[in-house]
Amino acid sequence: MRLTVKKLAKSYGFLWALRDFDLELPPGSFVALLGPNGAGKTTLLKLLAGLTMPSAGAIELDGENFAANSSITRGQIGLLAPADHLYDQLTARENLRFFTALYNKSGQAGMLELALEEVGLAGRADEFAGNLSAGLKCRLSIAKWRLLDPGLLLLDEPYGVLDGSGIDLLEMFLREQCDKGHIVMMASHHVARALGLCSRALILHQGRLTFNEAKQTPWSSFDRAFGDFLPRGGS
Amino acid sequence: MTLLRQTYLLLCKDLRLELRRRDSLLTMFFFGTLLLFVFHFSFDVAPDKMAEMAPALLWLAFLFTGTLGLAQLFQAERDNHCLDALLLSPLDRGALFLAKSGFNLLLMILVELVVMPLFWILFNLSNWNLLPQLFLVTLMGTVGFCVLGTIMSAITLRARARELLLPLVLFPLMIPVLLATIRCMETVLRTGTFADAAPWLRLLLGFDVIFLTLGVLIFDWVIEA
Repeated sequence: MRLTVKKLAKSYGFLWALRDFDLELPPGSFVALLGPNGAGKTTLLKLLAGLTMPSAGAIELDGENFAANSSITRGQIGLLAPADHLYDQLTARENLRFFTALYNKSGQAGMLELALEEVGLAGRADEFAGNLSAGLKCRLSIAKWRLLDPGLLLLDEPYGVLDGSGIDLLEMFLREQCDKGHIVMMASHHVARALGLCSRALILHQGRLTFNEAKQTPWSSFDRAFGDFLPRGGS
Repeated sequence: MTLLRQTYLLLCKDLRLELRRRDSLLTMFFFGTLLLFVFHFSFDVAPDKMAEMAPALLWLAFLFTGTLGLAQLFQAERDNHCLDALLLSPLDRGALFLAKSGFNLLLMILVELVVMPLFWILFNLSNWNLLPQLFLVTLMGTVGFCVLGTIMSAITLRARARELLLPLVLFPLMIPVLLATIRCMETVLRTGTFADAAPWLRLLLGFDVIFLTLGVLIFDWVIEA
């Protein structure tokens, strides 16, 4: 999958949450989306997911305009929001069964059980999602997107609710997605973790893209660009 | 995946959630029954005036009861931002409209199946033989209420005071359905046949077909706005 974004902009009244955003991503890219609070990271993810209509600009997936054949392109995009997008009164298994059926990917029953096992929820598959902790819900979301296998996976602050093994699980899943040629874009304030995984970093500031570079070692240009947003520490 | 298959999938999910929570159906059932008792103790209707009064009283109860159900219609989707999960999927928005309308219709039918005979008992009505015909008319009115109610419920979904806003936008638009259903029921109660109620039946059928089609076509825009 190839992602092209041209002059993307979003305004809420007179406030520009995002403007003049251009991006070209080849298959297998892992993008770390960084920036201070209110920079426009979540707005960008929502625009790419099709949950918000852009005020201007275009998004193309494999050269096809996002809006032109939306139901097909929508099936190619995933948004992993930790502890969200699950029905509390359905069990873990029922949630997976419902969403795989919705994406028309419920063919292999064994895959569902395997996905539950891989995220450590095989023993709790018949518990209501509402009874699971935020971390376990995030694991269930990982199982969900593992089964749905989207070409473009967007993540919004996934680290906050996961424990150590959960983080390993997530990062392994994200690496697998990139190895398959899929694109992953992760918004996070865990800069070190995000930089460890990414092939490209983007920095947003006040709705504008201020940094867009492929990963290098050492990466002095990133250090200079991101230095302004690092915590100063108290005294 | 076809529109009908997606509708079936969503409807099964909503029914399963309702069977587990039981909040919408129980609230609607008790509120509908309560209204009948309030009407029973408030109105002393002469038997010869009952043909004029019964349909209006019944539909007042259905209207208020149904609005309670509509206010809860998207509750499962509001929790955990599940609506975003549905909008993110390749789901046809028309299927979401059909499933939500169908789900609300099922709840309303269950409530009406209890409330209508209870009304006959409380108001001591003798013409039980007309109940199936009256139920058929009520069903047509309920379809209109549910399709229009689902559209309005989706429009007010992101509003701050949606529970207050919903009846304010829904009730004026419901006037043609209410008028046609009540007049039709009144005619059936007076004459015992559908023959004289044909114009009202046509209006009801037209309303149902127009808003059902419109809902499937515009729900994409309505739910994403």
